[in-house]
Amino acid sequence: MGGPPYDCMSNPLGAVRLTFEKAIGLGSETLTHPSAFDGKDWGALELFRHFLFQESGLSQVPILNPKTLRWVQHNCLVRYRGMIQDMLGNEFYVGAYREEGCSWRTNKFTDVSQYAMESPSDTCIWERRLLYCVPVPGQSSWTVLSCDMDPKWSSQSREKRRRMNDEDEVPMDLAPEDEVKRSPITKKMRENEPPASSEPMDLKTASMSTIQFVDKDNLPCLVKIYDSPESDLKLNDVFEFIGVLTFYSELAVEKDENDELSNILYDDARVHLPPNKVPRLHCLVHRKLAVHDFLLGSPIMEPKPHLVKEIREALFRHLTVVLGNDGVAAHFMLLHLLSKVHTRVDDVAVGKLSLNLTGLSKESVSVFGTRLSQAFKNLLPFTNCMPLTLEYLNTASLAPKKDYQTNRLIPGVLQLPEGSHLMVDETQLESGSLNSIGIDNVKLLKNLIEFQKVEYDFQYYKVEMAADVQLLIFSEGKSNIVPADLIVPFQPSSLESSEIPVGEALEAWRWYLATVRSLPHSIGSEMQKVVEDDLVAARQADRSLGSRDFSRWLTMARLISSSLGETSLTLEHWQMVKEMERLRKERLK
Amino acid sequence: MASDSSPANFNSGPSSPDDSFSSPIPDTSSPAHRRRRGRRQATTPSAAAVTPPSNPSRFANSASTPTPSRSTRRGRRPATTSPTPPAAATPSSTDDFPPPSSDGGDDMEEATPTFVWGTNISVQDVKNAIQMFIKHFRDPQELSNDIYGEGKYTRMIHRVLEVEGEWIDVDAHDVFNYDSDLYNKMMRYPLEVLAIFDIVLMDIVSLINPLFDKHVQVRIHNLKSSTSMRNLNPSDIEKMVSLKGMIIRCSSIIPEIREAVFRCIVCGYHSDPVVVDRGRMTEPTSCLKQECMTKNSMTLVHNRCRFADKQVVRLQETPDEIPEGGTPHTVSLLMHDKLVDAGKPGDRVEVTGIYRAMSVRLGPTQRTVKSLFKACLLLAFARMTAEDPMETDKGSQRIDDDVQFDEDKVDKLKELSKQPDIYEKLTRSLAPNIWELDDVKRGLLCQLFGGNALKLPSDASFRGDINILLVGDPGTSKSQLLQYIHKLAPRGIYTSGRGSSAVGLTAYVAKDPETGETVLESGALVLSDRGICCIDEFDKMSDNARSMLHEVMEQQTVSIAKAGIIASLNARTSVLACANPSGSRYNPRLSVIDNIHLPPTLLSRFDLIYLILDKADEQTDRRLAKHIVSLHFEDTEIAEHDVIDLATLTSYVSYARKNINPKLSDEAAEELTRGYVEMRKRGNFPGSSKKVITATPRQIESLIRLSEALARTRFSEWVEMRDVTEAFRLLEVAMQQSATDHSTAARNIIMDKLQLGGPSIRLLELLDELKKQSSGSEIHLHDLRTAVATLASEGFVALHGDSVKRI
Repeated sequence: MGGPPYDCMSNPLGAVRLTFEKAIGLGSETLTHPSAFDGKDWGALELFRHFLFQESGLSQVPILNPKTLRWVQHNCLVRYRGMIQDMLGNEFYVGAYREEGCSWRTNKFTDVSQYAMESPSDTCIWERRLLYCVPVPGQSSWTVLSCDMDPKWSSQSREKRRRMNDEDEVPMDLAPEDEVKRSPITKKMRENEPPASSEPMDLKTASMSTIQFVDKDNLPCLVKIYDSPESDLKLNDVFEFIGVLTFYSELAVEKDENDELSNILYDDARVHLPPNKVPRLHCLVHRKLAVHDFLLGSPIMEPKPHLVKEIREALFRHLTVVLGNDGVAAHFMLLHLLSKVHTRVDDVAVGKLSLNLTGLSKESVSVFGTRLSQAFKNLLPFTNCMPLTLEYLNTASLAPKKDYQTNRLIPGVLQLPEGSHLMVDETQLESGSLNSIGIDNVKLLKNLIEFQKVEYDFQYYKVEMAADVQLLIFSEGKSNIVPADLIVPFQPSSLESSEIPVGEALEAWRWYLATVRSLPHSIGSEMQKVVEDDLVAARQADRSLGSRDFSRWLTMARLISSSLGETSLTLEHWQMVKEMERLRKERLK
Repeated sequence: MASDSSPANFNSGPSSPDDSFSSPIPDTSSPAHRRRRGRRQATTPSAAAVTPPSNPSRFANSASTPTPSRSTRRGRRPATTSPTPPAAATPSSTDDFPPPSSDGGDDMEEATPTFVWGTNISVQDVKNAIQMFIKHFRDPQELSNDIYGEGKYTRMIHRVLEVEGEWIDVDAHDVFNYDSDLYNKMMRYPLEVLAIFDIVLMDIVSLINPLFDKHVQVRIHNLKSSTSMRNLNPSDIEKMVSLKGMIIRCSSIIPEIREAVFRCIVCGYHSDPVVVDRGRMTEPTSCLKQECMTKNSMTLVHNRCRFADKQVVRLQETPDEIPEGGTPHTVSLLMHDKLVDAGKPGDRVEVTGIYRAMSVRLGPTQRTVKSLFKACLLLAFARMTAEDPMETDKGSQRIDDDVQFDEDKVDKLKELSKQPDIYEKLTRSLAPNIWELDDVKRGLLCQLFGGNALKLPSDASFRGDINILLVGDPGTSKSQLLQYIHKLAPRGIYTSGRGSSAVGLTAYVAKDPETGETVLESGALVLSDRGICCIDEFDKMSDNARSMLHEVMEQQTVSIAKAGIIASLNARTSVLACANPSGSRYNPRLSVIDNIHLPPTLLSRFDLIYLILDKADEQTDRRLAKHIVSLHFEDTEIAEHDVIDLATLTSYVSYARKNINPKLSDEAAEELTRGYVEMRKRGNFPGSSKKVITATPRQIESLIRLSEALARTRFSEWVEMRDVTEAFRLLEVAMQQSATDHSTAARNIIMDKLQLGGPSIRLLELLDELKKQSSGSEIHLHDLRTAVATLASEGFVALHGDSVKRI
């Protein structure tokens, strides 16, 4: 029998168990006490990494979403992409235990031990971290992996799995000491598996009974993290988790009987996130996702200058058309789309470039706003819109807020992952009075645009979280509620709608936006001198220029040279910045 | 449920140590393996699986359950290697032991020593050690005068007996100092050691007063080291830990049964009180009366049961312990009896207790234990920690305020204060990303440190807080400075003048919608008591609101007399205000006073008034340009070396405010007097009566405050000469920028020159005169003209063409 005696895909726990047994030295003379692991990895992860990345098993692992949830099997390997929305702290669990007269077993990567733990004679307690993850807010449709393979895959895999089960039996014969531990799981799996004939119906009922979703598009997931330092995973990071999926309806706590006491003791996941609504994922491998990871099948290209310039030209043309032939606005828009926070020095977020398009009325916003929003949805991974009306300001909860009754962080609109794009439409704002919520919200928006920070409300105190959100504001005049870095009066000259870009071009543009953003950048000492002289001269000429303006110029300079695929600032780019500023000034007059 | 908090079985006469922590649960269905494991397994009130299924009480949830760390421990320390407890090893002893009830017996007298389960710690040894500790421990401080007196804790026991108290607070430091071995045992096996502690206490109590029938418990506090909530991990289970945090949620008080009485529904027989042992109690399955013996006939008699208070409280990490990109961790606390309602949500507390884990059940009715555990802290002791690091009031109610500063930190801060250039360094570290403005920063530094508040026996008080006003052109980073100070100051409110009303700043009376009572709500200034109140856009404030500040800034109180409430609230706050000149940009053609455009009564209450002007200076511009370019392109240069980080700076300031109270040295006092007289003379020129800042008695107070603050920056207990000199310099710098500019100088000279009713003088002559007098600074004709024009408008002089005449 070729192949390993386990199936990482459909029976990951079996693989875990095998490595565990190997690690504690089962069968050999010297037994290692599991407490020696202290909950750390004993070699299982290596196995899965090898399977996922070396044997390119990753693409076969189904992605967990409302669609796939119908057919993915309990206790099999899945991946989930989402944003860490809340951290629910640590959880202690019996990591390894031994019954009288039996050998050690492990509970790692599972919620409930696979055998009834009647009265273990010896146990080890380990801990794991709980993360509450949600789909990334404003995720564009192109970033979602298509699931066209699912029916095919599922039937195939089911067949495969059956085959694997059969195979499973063979090594068991070869290794008789495994049999005792192995047989229940295979039996269990077979029980789980509906008979082939009645498959569709059974499957349906099974999934109906286990998972009932309120929101079809929004599948949260409770991820349990085992071996990774705390600093690896941060709030609002976008991650891909690959691990074992479990959902036990029986684990749900019956709420009615539980009085306040148990509520406050168990106020965590189990009460408020019943497992039949929120699946659990026991994470084996996780990786942080960058925009690149969302680009499907596009070849990883070297950012060669000529190639980059070509794409830039095309993208610029596209933006110009979208913006009604306003070339100046398109230039600024391009830079705006490329901006990101590079460093933070004290309160200053270096690299942000928020854009305020002025001169828009309610009517024109409905044309250009929708067009732009459509364009962004095609180009950027995470886009969000915010209609800034008085009512919205007075009622919306922009900042995440901690609810101590449920011990959960209630998400706010401004809880966005790094690299999100946010469009704020101020044209609909009318005069009126703000209530206290409205004032707080305005302050939040102001803080976000000025410092790229959002204050999370923890009721007794506030915690500032760093953000990196590109902000685009539509307004009639200069927006005072959300004071942007760049104010560009918008002057469209045509209303003709843009052609829908073809897929290939879109792919290239996405790749361009993702790659160019992260290019390194430097400045030569000579160029530095030139820039400094220019700044001093400009300030001597116009006292109203301040550090904010200078900062903006330099950000633009950096973005211009990056947008052309260059890594160092040249005089030419600097001249372009000055020229753009001149054009902008002219419009402002 | 905790052995340390429910040793109810001590009632039954002199009890043995075993009772408290290892009385075997009279188990109806004790499986074979339990028996085999020896009776001490019962110490860890074992697996919920052994709970009789017939008893699915609601306490099941709170039942403290198996703490498998014990098993782990056994694993690490194999039973064969240590002189294992013979009692535990011999099954016979288990069997001999009468299973039902805890009648104790003379187990203690057994020849074989008893051990804490799984270890080689002898119960008798621990007991002796505790007895020794209670009897012989003496506070080192009182040792000298009272050698033959009773020990600290013996006295405490007597006192507790007198007041019929229920517990004795034991300082863990005392235990450590007396017997570090005992301390270590207590840390590692708190359940057992505390139980023994309680027994020893009970023994002593019953010796002193045999009729005393309350349980006296021990409460440990003040551990040697405290754990961070984030670092709690499985190895801490069953250990004694100490945590700091903020209470975020309290449950309502839950009555927990301690002693239950059952009644037979058939014959009406009342059982003896059944004691709840570690969260579980055994319901008699049949009537105990010999004649009845009916099965399953016993019901609980609620009225005759004894209940105790219990509360579940959630504790959350304090904000400063949260790492970047994380959310705060929480931990549940179980509070019993007197600890119930010891804190309310929002309080910062330090708690000491035993970290325990409880197994999670699938459902209340199910007995299967799944592999999950829920950790919680069983509380032994809680106390409020000083909430406010800026606290300076020595006589306050708060329990010791030194907790924030451990010795290491203090040493480090002191080390820092010894550096010769500490003043410069602190200045540099203050808002390092804001350029120039060094003198303003020095002033702000003084404000942070503050002077000494003084209260005379005659009830007159002098404020120690320094008020600063920054006036300047837009875009000169005034607001950033304000923000920075707001962040640095341990307490304070940031408000904008435009959005503040008089009542919002001070206090207002509101009607409670429910009760209809009038209540007093504090405003920003009252809320920033003992802190800094930052007011941005001071000039945009309404006059009415500004006039409210008069009282606050000098008397440091807010008086309210309305709607039947007459009150005076403390508002011991420093005010840091910033304003734009009238007309938003500084107008050099107007005098400073006109530019600032604030009433002099208010201005004189500011110790320092800084005028921050945006001067067209190429040098500054270049530096700014360089800074911004480096900000964008070179990451290395930004890292300003030799700068104290924010956290250290904050603790430095708090420590100084709390612990350093400098006094004026003689020579410093002399210098102050001399300097003041001189200043007073200088300001005393004719015609200056109107709208010109002169030296007033307020200034000498300012000077004293400033020099005290300067001494504090060095952690010096004495105000020295150099502090006074620097204070004068600071005041001068501030005055120079505000009070004396060209037109004022011109004005003074004009008034000097022109005699009342004397001949008229041509302007050009005056200009020559001026240029002669004010060497250095250049004076233009238009300065002179402005000065003359103002004087003319005030009616001092008359201007005819080119000549001026004093009227």
